[in-house]
Amino acid sequence: MKRRFGFIFGLFFGIAFAVPAKTHPHIFVDGGIDFIMSGQETLDALSVTWLFDEFETLYDLASRGIEPQPDGGLSDADRETIRAAYSDWPDDFDGSAHLSIDGEVIEMAWPDDLVVDLVDGRLQFTFLRRLEEPAILTKKSVEVAFYESTYFFAFKITNDPAFAGTDACAAVVVPYTPGEQTEEVKQSLARLGREETPDIANVGQLFADRIIVNCA
Amino acid sequence: MRIAVPIALILASLLLFAIGSAAFPGVMDWAATQQRAFQNEMAAAVRAIKSGAPAGWAALLLAAGAYGVVHAAGPGHGKYLIGGVGLGSSVPASRMIALAVASSLAQAIWAVVLVYGGFWLLQLSADNLTMLAEQWLAPASYLAIAVVGIVVALRGLRNVLGPKSKVPEHAGHDGCGHAHGPDPDQVASLQTLREAAALVASIAIRPCTGAIFLLVIAWQLDIKAAGFAATVAMGLGTAILTSAVAISSVALRGMAMFSGRRAGAIGVAAPVLQIIAGVMIFWFSLALLSISIL
Repeated sequence: MKRRFGFIFGLFFGIAFAVPAKTHPHIFVDGGIDFIMSGQETLDALSVTWLFDEFETLYDLASRGIEPQPDGGLSDADRETIRAAYSDWPDDFDGSAHLSIDGEVIEMAWPDDLVVDLVDGRLQFTFLRRLEEPAILTKKSVEVAFYESTYFFAFKITNDPAFAGTDACAAVVVPYTPGEQTEEVKQSLARLGREETPDIANVGQLFADRIIVNCA
Repeated sequence: MRIAVPIALILASLLLFAIGSAAFPGVMDWAATQQRAFQNEMAAAVRAIKSGAPAGWAALLLAAGAYGVVHAAGPGHGKYLIGGVGLGSSVPASRMIALAVASSLAQAIWAVVLVYGGFWLLQLSADNLTMLAEQWLAPASYLAIAVVGIVVALRGLRNVLGPKSKVPEHAGHDGCGHAHGPDPDQVASLQTLREAAALVASIAIRPCTGAIFLLVIAWQLDIKAAGFAATVAMGLGTAILTSAVAISSVALRGMAMFSGRRAGAIGVAAPVLQIIAGVMIFWFSLALLSISIL
């Protein structure tokens, strides 16, 4: 009896996991994107920071049975537990940093070098997304949007973007404003390829904060 | 003239729909910002309860109730169903409010049963529970609501066609209290407890994800009673917003009926309104379903 029960539930959840979740936001992520350069003009990787909201942090820690250390941080073992859990990114995760250069979507490797921390009671992740091929940014129109295509997560850029390895570049954060979009963002959106055209299934993109990069 | 009123009603509904969609990103963004604030307050309150602060309970109940209100302002949550039924039926406002409160509370209780039961009886993990809610119960609820939409629209259609297909011998008895076959008003109202229960269930199948998160936290941190009370408070918060929708939809129906009566087209106004409401319920739930499964 017990086995049959297990089978039915296994089947049930097996199918459940195969369907990506898309709905309105429950998890709020602050953070930002830093640019890892080699030399003055070549972009190697994006360093992405996620800072979860307090409620999600509580949920995440509680559901794993993790209690913060007396100093408010995480023990090494707990850090590793969370890191391991998130190293296996779900199927519908789409990288949260979306880079385009001169309107072309740039492919990046899956997140790497995930570091987990607890900062002022909030869970923080930093991870690298390496470009498949390093790209030259000089005099190009470069844009990074910070979102997941599922609206279950709501992302906000709260960290100023930094450039490691160059001083030739500057970045401006263009926050999403409800009901209006700046001309700049409209143009950048228009520049994105046809595949990137916002549709209802990719609702996160419509509400994305963006970073516009300018390298002299 | 008889045809002008339904057309005006259709145009008015389309206008409402358009205004609703245009305001949608703004409303959603506002709701999300508020939701985040109250979510953080719930987190703070949970920590206060854990550390034994006496004000923790009150803070948690307040934050959870407020969360329920603003969260219900976002998409989903059976608002469309309650609003649509209110618009397209002859159910009085008081009963619509009762339905709104019943569905919100049923949703809250179902969340408690699911999470506490899932942990206690089935030893499910927290991830299993949220997956179950988001990937199975949400689409199931949208489908059920879509079916209610079809039923409402079909009844409206039957009422439009109904008078012509009535058996002749009944014609003379009309208005003398005999209830041979359903008259438009009866068909338009919720006739049985079973129908009301189906309506409540279609909304309640899908527990609020925020409630699941809170209940998981409460179970794991061993503050189960606080989690239960806060979830009920959340349901009451949701009920406030859904009741407001119920009242406005009944008021809107009243206005439409009034203008229909003035135009001498009362017999057509009700079923046409019903068809529009049914189609709107159906349409919204299909849109939500496509977001949830695509």
